[in-house]
Amino acid sequence: MASIAVVGQFADIQGRPRRLWTQSLSWVLFLVGIFIYTQFSIVRHKENPEDRVVPSVSQLYHGIRSAVLEPAEEDDPLDDNATLAQRLTHSMLAKDTMSSAGRFFAAILLLIPAILIGLHMAVFPYAEALCLRFILFFDKIVALSLLPILFIAFGIGDWAKVMLMVIGVAPTLMLDTYNLAKAVPREQVVKAFTLKSSNLDVAYRVVLKQILPQIINSVRLNLKPLALFLFAGEMIVSSDGLAYRIGIMRRHMGMDIIIPYILWVAVLLFGLDALLKFANRRLHPWA
Amino acid sequence: MGLAARVIESEESSESTAAPALVAAPVEIALRDVSVSYPVGKGKSKTVLSKLNVEIRAGEFVAVLGETGCGKSTLLRMVLGQEFPTTGAIHVDGKLVTRIDARCGYVPQKYSLFPDRTMMQNVMYGPENAFCGWLGRVLPSYRRFKRQLRAEAEEQLLRMGLRSGDFHKYPHQLSGGMQQRVAIAQALMMKPPVLLMDEAFSALDPATRASLQQQLRTIWQQTRPTVLFVTHNTAEALLLGSRLLVLKPHREGSGESNVLLDMPLPQSSGTIAEREQSREFIELREYVKHKAYGSSSRQTEEAMEQETDESGDSL
Repeated sequence: MASIAVVGQFADIQGRPRRLWTQSLSWVLFLVGIFIYTQFSIVRHKENPEDRVVPSVSQLYHGIRSAVLEPAEEDDPLDDNATLAQRLTHSMLAKDTMSSAGRFFAAILLLIPAILIGLHMAVFPYAEALCLRFILFFDKIVALSLLPILFIAFGIGDWAKVMLMVIGVAPTLMLDTYNLAKAVPREQVVKAFTLKSSNLDVAYRVVLKQILPQIINSVRLNLKPLALFLFAGEMIVSSDGLAYRIGIMRRHMGMDIIIPYILWVAVLLFGLDALLKFANRRLHPWA
Repeated sequence: MGLAARVIESEESSESTAAPALVAAPVEIALRDVSVSYPVGKGKSKTVLSKLNVEIRAGEFVAVLGETGCGKSTLLRMVLGQEFPTTGAIHVDGKLVTRIDARCGYVPQKYSLFPDRTMMQNVMYGPENAFCGWLGRVLPSYRRFKRQLRAEAEEQLLRMGLRSGDFHKYPHQLSGGMQQRVAIAQALMMKPPVLLMDEAFSALDPATRASLQQQLRTIWQQTRPTVLFVTHNTAEALLLGSRLLVLKPHREGSGESNVLLDMPLPQSSGTIAEREQSREFIELREYVKHKAYGSSSRQTEEAMEQETDESGDSL
């Protein structure tokens, strides 16, 4: 009877789970995933103790340990007396993370003009007439198809990867900002002009300020496409970075490194998303 | 002779549309041969306003009344500079209206406040813009100016019947009535020569509406801005206005003006609630009702019934 009641609650739209239930339920799928993986790994290792496709817990532990504490093979080894902090900062994971993060944040900074272009298109009719059709068309270009052109134009260094991310995400962000700014009630703009606002006041202090929480949400939604373009660039041409390492490890069947790297990327993106969400809530209590 | 009858007589015998005390006041808003048409499909257009000639003198409170679609909001938007006439010209404060500017204060029905600013910030927004600009905010004198401005804003908000404990609240934390009070205070802070109100009280409950009507009336009597008040509520128009402008929907091809009625309204003493109960007011309301809607179609009568239901008062 109790189980029927629990199942019934899952189908109840008006159900109100308690805090403990909510917290507990949110971890269930993680635990199920870990359980399925370990069972699968155990089965495979029974058949072949040297299996590297689904590494065991101990293989994963060693993989994580070497990634976090040891430098990459292509780097100079640290001397044995190195401190833990030195080991961490010179590790393969730290080096790859810093390389990828540098490209990632450079792309985010370069996306700020995209937001401003979207805003100006929505607020200034001449800017809209000039840019909208072009950006709607540009948005349909598959960014990855531009990769050869980017490599020719920017070389095989970091710029090509950063530009791939910017070109991949900028049109979406521009159009998103444009739609958000267009949705600001006309009354607000009219009211602002009657309160002696200049054109820039209306654009930046009325419209942009109102849509900023939604723009931040849009950036949050675009974190994954950004990472996707970053990975595409790093996997094709790079000498460092998280995706480069995953690509290298694929050749050696190094799943004990690949799986922790994939989870690390997910944790980083999840953390960045949570940080943006928190900042959004703190900076815009009215939203 | 009853007050309503005197008003009716005055309206029928006089050419002038302004109240006698304001005849000498300068013309604040002037609409000359204003017509507005919108394209509706291939080569066709719909005329909303036709041959509108109206002069509103400084200090008048003009209530604009009319059926849905008669062009009263269009009229207000044109005075504001948000829309432009197809033919004719509109002057506010002696200057041709070519764009929206601070000559007119504006209180819309909704979205009247900036959601990202507190009540106090909303009220201070206009004067801060007017006197500081972008660079003024970094000057040392800005803090002193802001203190003075805050005191003035507080005074304005208290005058609108708002409590100081609510000054830090955001619009989403305020009731509809409070939001409209703040919106009026925000517009008045700029001391505009003209105040435009577009169905500003129509989304409010009857009690809040009555209270706001009284406050607006008191403020108008004290400071005498020129007010153009668009409403679909006959009683509200008669209670608040010093002059009534009733518009009728344009009939295609008729070539007639939209103005059905343009008359001064009696300015008797007493509160709005007292005036609403008076025999003169009831007579006048019946007259306007008959004049504005008496010979119109069944649809109009239904619209009036709906109006009664919405506003909660009997027309």
